[in-house]
Amino acid sequence: MLQKKVCVLGAFGVGKTTLVRRFVESIFSEAYLTTVGVKIDKKTVRVGSEPVTLVLWDIAGEDAERSVRMNYVRGASGYFLVADGTRAETLDVASSIQGRVTAEVGGLPFLLLINKSDLQESWDIAAGPVESLERSGWGVVRTSAKTGEGVEEAFHELTRRMVS
Amino acid sequence: MHRLSLARGAASGVAELSPDDARTASRLADLLLEVARSVDRDMAAAFPSRLGGDPQLDALRSLVLEQDRAAFASLREKIDDPQQFAEAISAVLANALALAEARDDRLAAVLAPAMERAAHVAIRKDVGPLVGVLYPLVGPVIRKSIAESLDGTLRRLNQAFKDSFSWRGLKWRLEAYRSGSTYADVVLKHTVVYRVEHLFLIQRESGLLLEHVAAPQAETQDPHMVSGMLTAIQDFVRDSFGNAGDAGRSGIDSLRLGDLLLWCEEGPLALLAAVIRGNPPESLHGVLRETLAGIHQDLRGPLESFNGDSATLGDLTSRLSPCLQQQEQPPDTRLSPWLWAIPLAILVFGGAWLAYRTLISYRVDSYVQALRSEPGVVVTAAERRYGTWHVAGLRDPLSTDPAVLRQKSKLSPEQVVENWEPYEALNPAIVMKRLAATLNPPRGVSLSLAGRTIRAEGSAPEHWVEKARALIAAMPAGAPSIDLSRLKDVQDPDFIRLRDALQAHVITFASSAPRPPVGQDAVLDAIASELSELIRVARGLGFSVRVMIVGHADATGQETSNLALSAARAEVVRSMLKSRGIAPHLLLVRSAGTLEPEQVSSAGQELATNRRVTFTVSTSD
Repeated sequence: MLQKKVCVLGAFGVGKTTLVRRFVESIFSEAYLTTVGVKIDKKTVRVGSEPVTLVLWDIAGEDAERSVRMNYVRGASGYFLVADGTRAETLDVASSIQGRVTAEVGGLPFLLLINKSDLQESWDIAAGPVESLERSGWGVVRTSAKTGEGVEEAFHELTRRMVS
Repeated sequence: MHRLSLARGAASGVAELSPDDARTASRLADLLLEVARSVDRDMAAAFPSRLGGDPQLDALRSLVLEQDRAAFASLREKIDDPQQFAEAISAVLANALALAEARDDRLAAVLAPAMERAAHVAIRKDVGPLVGVLYPLVGPVIRKSIAESLDGTLRRLNQAFKDSFSWRGLKWRLEAYRSGSTYADVVLKHTVVYRVEHLFLIQRESGLLLEHVAAPQAETQDPHMVSGMLTAIQDFVRDSFGNAGDAGRSGIDSLRLGDLLLWCEEGPLALLAAVIRGNPPESLHGVLRETLAGIHQDLRGPLESFNGDSATLGDLTSRLSPCLQQQEQPPDTRLSPWLWAIPLAILVFGGAWLAYRTLISYRVDSYVQALRSEPGVVVTAAERRYGTWHVAGLRDPLSTDPAVLRQKSKLSPEQVVENWEPYEALNPAIVMKRLAATLNPPRGVSLSLAGRTIRAEGSAPEHWVEKARALIAAMPAGAPSIDLSRLKDVQDPDFIRLRDALQAHVITFASSAPRPPVGQDAVLDAIASELSELIRVARGLGFSVRVMIVGHADATGQETSNLALSAARAEVVRSMLKSRGIAPHLLLVRSAGTLEPEQVSSAGQELATNRRVTFTVSTSD
């Protein structure tokens, strides 16, 4: 059986935990996020006929006081960068994290999830920067924790990228 | 040699050939010999060259072999010159060693002894550099080892102290004392009881689960998530509390949560976490460490290149399973001494109770026996009810007090409840007692038993004998016979003399006169004095006397007046004696009238003797 460590990274309050909550198996309380700074969940995804177990490291969001512990990223096979579509600055944080991850552990498959796609009316991220990121090879998926839009696809896409 | 003889044969066996052919053949043989010499070093030494001195051949040789010869010379120079040879080998040595190592493990086997010797020599020569190399390595190793063993000792010590003052501790002390082993051994025996419930083999960097084995019936959450969280927590602890500069810093290696214990053994590539219930022995650390070391040794490659596919690591379950150790507290098959003590105590108490009961029964038996043999006592019931003996029966109040017999049998009133109904016994002994109590025999009288007959012997005054007779006459039928025949009626001679003297006195009267004639005063004085003496003597003998004054009249006149006259005569004498100091209650009066004449005659003289007063003495107690 194949298993992969996948990190979920992003700015504080972008809805990382909420986003994956409905799609994963979980046994640990969210208190771990504030204490240890990480919470482990599990998700099984099928690529072709082969099941792949994703061990998800939901890492505490980054804010002014606390940056992502790079130790937690070591050994990952891929990661999600989560940004909040209604807060443009979270995209910058995601970009910054991506740079640090690449510097720390090298290039890994990753996807940028722009969350809160259900709140189109208060959308804050312009199309330009996203398109330029896509052009530079970033995979971008618009997701909604509320409706579940794009989440399953994002898991499949990242798994496919890690396994291939 | 074969080839040599062929060459010789070729050289010598050409005599029959033509001279030219022979020469050609000889040359060929020489050439072949030369070739052989150049190939075989031994041959070159044994056979001198036969080609010398042929300028044509030399020219040809130098022409054909010039380049090879230069190359050969250069090579030879390199091989012959140690410096150059060493340089040449040093260029390829590393590669050669790598190839040899990759091919099989002979290189290690070949090099090991030499390396060992070299190390010995180096250490003997100067130990300093080795110390310098080992120091940073040895320090942490020793520190960790000491810390771990101290930790174990402290934990056991702590447990021992905790147990010292508990009921369990006291029990263990007793066990140590009984079995002759030390207290520490006993504590160890009882505390080292554990079960390894889970083993997680985790890739150190990613936290991915390489293998999970669990003891039967051990429960756990999803091992993948547990493994990830464990790694995250290890990272967290390492980041938060480790020294930044310490490259080999370690995370949690022991964590206790109530009854559960988490032990982590860290290797460079993988982490072995054991979830243990209870108190494992320190030796389990060794087992975990060796297992992890074995996995590292055998699976270094696959571990380094692990990409999430556990299949590449082969069968890890069989490697980890031996670590799923457990030690159960052996069931204590020995019977607790208390189990022996209880029946023993029951036996002892039961025995003591039985013995006590038997003793009491025996005493009651002997008591009842004594009662039965006691005259005047009839035992009608002797039985044990609710642990107490009850004795009931009839008892003559004059019989021996049962309390005396009970005390002789060493029984208390609490042990025997008695109920006696009084009755009058006809048992000779009791009857004799009763006689003695009622008659109060005077000194000199003894009562004794002869069979069922009570015999009175000795001397007794008449009045007592009279009383005894009266009593015997009133005895119920069936009472023992009482024999008074042996009693002697012995009276005091003074008493008899005085009594007889008193009874001999007669006071005569004139006809129809109630008062004695003048001149009888002397007689009356004598009677009074004798009576006083008699009373005194009788009192001295233990009884009293009474005097009956009987008045008589002669037959003349009417009978009724005669009766009154005789009564008057007796009354007069009584009052005359009274006036002479005699106590009146001792003086009784009776009028006989004419009924008891002295002389039955109508003659005058004779009649005068009938007009009189006489005295009769009676005795009483």
